[in-house]
Order: sequence, then C-alpha cells, then structure tokens
Amino acid sequence: MTPQKSLPSMFLLGNEAIARGVIEAGCTVAAAYPGTPSSEVLESLVKWKKSLHHPIYLEWSVNEKVAFETAYGASLAGSRSMVAMKMVGLNVASDSVLSAAYLGVRGGLVIVVADDPGPHSSQTEQDSRFFAWFAKLPVLDPCNPQEAKEMAKLAFDLSERYEAPVILRPCLRVCHARQNVPLGNPQPVADAGQFKKNWQRWAAIPKFRLALHEELNQKLAKMRLTEPFAQPEQAAGDGHAALAIITSGSVSSHVRDLVRTDPTAYPVDVYRVRMPFPAHGEALQNIVDAHAKTLVIEETYPVLELHLKDRRKVMGRLTGDVPEQGELTPEIVHHLVAKALGADSGEKTAPEIKARRPSLCPGCPHRSAFFLIKKVFQKAIYTGDIGCYTLGINMGAVDTCLCMGASIGMAGGFVHSPLQRENSTVVATIGDSTFFHAGVPALINAVHTKAPFVLVIMDNGTTAMTGGQPTPAHQELADGSPGVAVNIEQVVRGCGVEFCEVGDPYDYAGFESLLTDAKDYTYGKRKGVSVIIARRPCVQYARVAPSEDKFVVGDECDRCMTCIRDLECPAISFIKPEKKIFINWDLCNSCGFCFQMCPSHAIKKVAVHD
Amino acid sequence: MTELILCGRGGQGIVFLTRQLGQILTDLGRDVISSETHGMAVRGGSINSHLRIGPFLSPLIPFGNADFLISLDQGETGNNIHFLKPNGVVVENSVMAGEPGFKRIDASGIARSLGSVRLENVVILGYSSTLPGFPLSPAEIRSHLEKEPRERIRVQNLAAFDAGVQASSESS
Repeated sequence: MTPQKSLPSMFLLGNEAIARGVIEAGCTVAAAYPGTPSSEVLESLVKWKKSLHHPIYLEWSVNEKVAFETAYGASLAGSRSMVAMKMVGLNVASDSVLSAAYLGVRGGLVIVVADDPGPHSSQTEQDSRFFAWFAKLPVLDPCNPQEAKEMAKLAFDLSERYEAPVILRPCLRVCHARQNVPLGNPQPVADAGQFKKNWQRWAAIPKFRLALHEELNQKLAKMRLTEPFAQPEQAAGDGHAALAIITSGSVSSHVRDLVRTDPTAYPVDVYRVRMPFPAHGEALQNIVDAHAKTLVIEETYPVLELHLKDRRKVMGRLTGDVPEQGELTPEIVHHLVAKALGADSGEKTAPEIKARRPSLCPGCPHRSAFFLIKKVFQKAIYTGDIGCYTLGINMGAVDTCLCMGASIGMAGGFVHSPLQRENSTVVATIGDSTFFHAGVPALINAVHTKAPFVLVIMDNGTTAMTGGQPTPAHQELADGSPGVAVNIEQVVRGCGVEFCEVGDPYDYAGFESLLTDAKDYTYGKRKGVSVIIARRPCVQYARVAPSEDKFVVGDECDRCMTCIRDLECPAISFIKPEKKIFINWDLCNSCGFCFQMCPSHAIKKVAVHD
Repeated sequence: MTELILCGRGGQGIVFLTRQLGQILTDLGRDVISSETHGMAVRGGSINSHLRIGPFLSPLIPFGNADFLISLDQGETGNNIHFLKPNGVVVENSVMAGEPGFKRIDASGIARSLGSVRLENVVILGYSSTLPGFPLSPAEIRSHLEKEPRERIRVQNLAAFDAGVQASSESS
C-alpha cells in the first residue's frame, strides 16, 4: 500500500465538503441540475476533478429527472454515482426515484437533496426526509459541513451494501455553512463489475415488482435494526434528566450549542438521529418512556415524531408545541427548550427588519425585455417562471410563478378557459435553462392545441440565478470538455412553432417591433402561439466587457418617473430634496436602455476619460 | 471565541470576506464555522454572513452574541444590530464621523479613489483588522492576500487592504 499523505484542512462550504466526500468515496459519475441551496455540489466536483486529475464524469443535466437517470444508469454500469438537486428538484425526479427504490442499484448511488427550511430560496418547505419515507429510501441528515463530508462517504457504503439508493439530506444551514474540514485521501475508483442482463429485475414488470417491494422492506428493516447510526446518539446529558430532546440535522447543532452554553441552565438529555429513515422507532420510544417529557426538534415535518407510537409525553409539531412552518432558528430553539423546562427564555424577537428587496441587476437584459413586453402588451396576463426573471414582479411584469416550466403550461390554461374576459392577452416569460428543463413539453402542448399566447424566452445564455451554470445551448460541458450546443430556435421550431424570432432586448425599437409582430401573429391573425427569443448575455456571467458609456440626466427631465417606476433600475434613483433623477455610476452597467427609453430624451450619453 | 456578522447588499463581496477570514483561521488550525446568503438575495438584496470562531456546531450567531458587526452598507446595519453584544463594535462603511461603539470608514470613497468601488470590502477588512479584539492581525491577513495567483487582483486587493489599515492609523 502506498503511504497516505496527511492533508490539510480547508474552509469548505457544506456543498464543497459533500463534493469532497463524493470524490474521496471513489465516485465516478455525478450529475445535477442547479438549484439553491444545492448548486455548489457539482460546481466543486468540477474543481476537485481538475485539481486531483480525477476521472469522474460530470454533467449539468437538462433537469433533475434526467440527472437521476444518468446517475442510475451509471450505477447499473458499476460506477459509484451521485446526483444532486434541491428538494423541489426531487419532485421532478420522483418518478424515476420511486421506481429505482424497488429495483435497487449496483454501484453505490447517493442522491444529495438540499432542503430549504424558511424557505429562503424555494417554493416550498417540504422535508426530503419525509419524501425518503414515502419513497422507502434511507436518508442521512448531517448537522454541519464536517459531518456532511463523512456522511457522503457513509452513504455510498450503505447504498452498496444494501443495493439501494441513499438520500443525503443537508439543509441550507449545512449547504451554505462553511467550516474547517479535514481532507482525506481519495479512495481508488469503485467498480461494482459489469452490468449483467436480468430483465426480471432491471426491467421488472408488475408481477416481479411485488417481490422487489418485499425485498426493499426487508432491506429497510435490517438497516433499522443493525446499522449503528440507526441508533439515536446521546449528544448531551447523562440520560437522567427529566427532559429529553430528540433532534436531527442542522437544527440539532443549534440545540447542542444552546445546551452547551450553560448545562446547569439547560438540564436536558439530547439525542441526535443521524438516519431519520428508516428510523429506529423502538429506540426512540425507549427514550420517551425513560424521561418525564420529550421535545422533538426537527425540520421541517414531524418525521421522528411520527415514528413514536406513544406520544402522550411528547411535545412537537403534532402537539402544536413546535411551529409548523418556518426555519427553526437558534432563537426559536432557545424559546422551545426554555418553555419545555418551564423557564423564561426572555424571548428575543428580531427587530423589524427593513430588508432590501432583490432586484434585476442594472443592465440586466430581462429588465429591458420586460419593459417592452409591458409597453406592447398592456394589461395582459404575464405568466412567469423560476429564475432571476421572477424578479419581473418588481416591474409588474410577472403575475404568476408556480414551478419550473409552468409559465407555458399555465398560459395554455389561461387562454383555453372559455370564460369571457375583457382582455385575454397572455404573455409567458421563461429563461433559457428553465425552457430546456421543463418548458419544451409544454410548448409542444401549446402548439398542438393552438394556444393563443406569446412566449418570450429570456435567453441570457446561462443559469444565472444559481451562479451561472452552463445550459444545453453551451458548447462546453460542466468540466469544460467539448459538447454539442443545442440551438434554442431549432428546438422551438422543432416543437412545431411557425413564428419564432430572435431579438436583442437592448435594441428598443427592434425588439418592440418584434413583439408587435408576435402580437399580430397570435392575436391579429389568430394563428396560435408565437415565440420570441430575447437574446443578450447576462451582465453577471457574460464574458464580454461592458461598454464604457456613462449616462447623466439633463434639464429636459420632467420627472415623469418612467425610469423609476417602470424601468426600476437600481442604478437610477430619485433624490427627493433636490427633486432630481440621479444615475449612480458605481452601479450602472452602461446598457444604455434608459437612454433609448426616456420619453423626454433627458438621459444623455457622456464621454468619460480616465 | 469571537463572533462576527458581516452585512451589506448583494454584490458587495460579503461572501468573499467571510471566506478569506475563514480560510486564514483554518490555516492557523482554529475551529471556525460560518453561514452565508446565496440565491435570489444576491441580486442586490440584503446579505449577511455569520462567522464564529471557537468550538461551535451551528453556523448561526444567536441574537446579542456578536463581537463585531462589519457593515458595508449603512442601510443594513439596523437590520443586523440585534446580533451584536451590548459592548460589541460596529464597523460601518460611511462618510459620517465615528461615535462610541461605531467605527466608521469611507470604504467606498477610498475604493473609488483606487479605481473601483468593488474594492470597498477589502478596504473595510484592512481597517477592521487594526481594531482591538479582531481575531486576525493585519499581517496575518496581508500574507494570505499575497498568495492570490492572479496578479491584477492581488495588486488591487493589497492596495485596498493597505489603504484600509492606513485609514485606521489616520483616524486614531
């Protein structure tokens, strides 16, 4: 054996630590679709692959379902494989995931699903531990980045020993925490051997599914009863306190930090569960029986609580003692523990926060596209989608936001509803990455049903909201190796769309004229859905230098407030005492759209020399 | 044990500062854990980072525990002041004069004079590092910034850092 090098510690994001664990476990295929708070897992795998010259194959898949299937196929081929997504991505992948639970795996398969209690950046507060229960898959719940890395390795081992996919569920406070994490040496790449054909298992028809279901139940029972980490771990106290706390995941870290600040003030026994499903219900019940009272603190659903058969001495979500929604912050945890002890927490509430709302960046091409959409389609219904451009709500240019791809499907429903309305004009907006992800089937549906709405694909050439990951329209794959660029207009035309035009949203007159043509096609000539691709690179991730133009507001300004109210550019503000519009050059990205848009031509371009 | 809150608007480089401090502390063998804001808020919204040095398991600082509040945007100070200890110190990016408990530096102005307002985060880092009780010394931070391989960024950051340190000696 070659001697193992001792490696330094690094200050790693939870997601980077998970990626490091994946590499250390000898994983050779990883796929993901970006989504906060999960995106950095695959991004850091790209970095580890390069710095360690590791052979791992990496891809940003078109969506989470395809990402899971890629990882699943690779597992059958013998590779240890990983797929990463946010929790709502698991909804997209669920069809494949639930079926795979029955069939099982060959190479270890780990599904990293990042949850977002709060929610800070998501549509729901769903609990992937609960999903794991529903899918009958084991789930590990790390408490911080250091543990997340170790659990990633453990998850591969567990997956291979039981031939089942394993979910690793970090919450946002693990994903986006950073910690000093000791690095380990990567294991040699794992190989579960060549795929052996066996249709009764890998293509199982319903007759065989029954047996596979029974096999899965047996795996779960064995795991629950024999795996050491299925047992609750005593994390504080000596077992003799009147109050027990059962906890799991990142919120368990708030609990343990609180209890450690003053053990005499918090005389409690803390039990931490590392694998919340399959949970060891009997062991948890023994804890409850041995204490006068038990408080269950977990995020975000009562998973452990529901595993307790006798809940008469239990306080949790089911009893209304723990809030049913929202993140359990250190303050809420403090309050819950103090209340359970009959003490006063001196309940600390946050002062009224005047949080600055997020806004499309200065120079964002979505802003100019939205401005012109609103101008051409006044009083239309604007169905929106998931991405930076959801922020079109600030401009009154987004009326609905459901989930990935829903702008197009919902637009169809709006226009097909037979109820008469004064204005039945509908404009759907969707980003390029979201269009590939879930918009394509909806567009085919719209063409087929001759749905009269206008679709604007906001093509900024990247997945901007989550940090600028590549889309299928890129030549380069996740790790920079060459791929094949998929052309959006070809996809649109391939869906059967006749009216498909590409325009630059910075070009005021040109883009307005395209929108007018689309309006005429869909509503004048009544020919069905029309598509405009608003193409202009993202100002954050474009590889082109912005223009050097600077703009000022001249005396012609009649304070019509169009630039403030309708354009909503963060670089433009109204200075109240002076009653003047001011352009902040620190923020301005020199897009020049305000210069074209100003109704009184008061915004002027000025020459700036160093 | 030292705990810091860093706050500002999305795009001001709060995450960069948190990462630099955490990596230097990690290199020194210290236990450090932090929490960052990602997602939609980074599009100009309110941003804060928590940085906790010591044997903590949770990345979040409970209210009333932070030793320092470093604010790159005066408008965000009030949104985070409840994290500060009663005798904690606010370091604020502002043109106003300091007062007891509030250290102020015109980090944006200094950064602009160095060629880019984007350097304001490194200027305030330089200034903060000179304050009593700050967990790292100017020399410890500077030697880390010297390791940046991209020359243009290294030179800019070092100039901004030194300007922040310099501003502190001028104000005291």
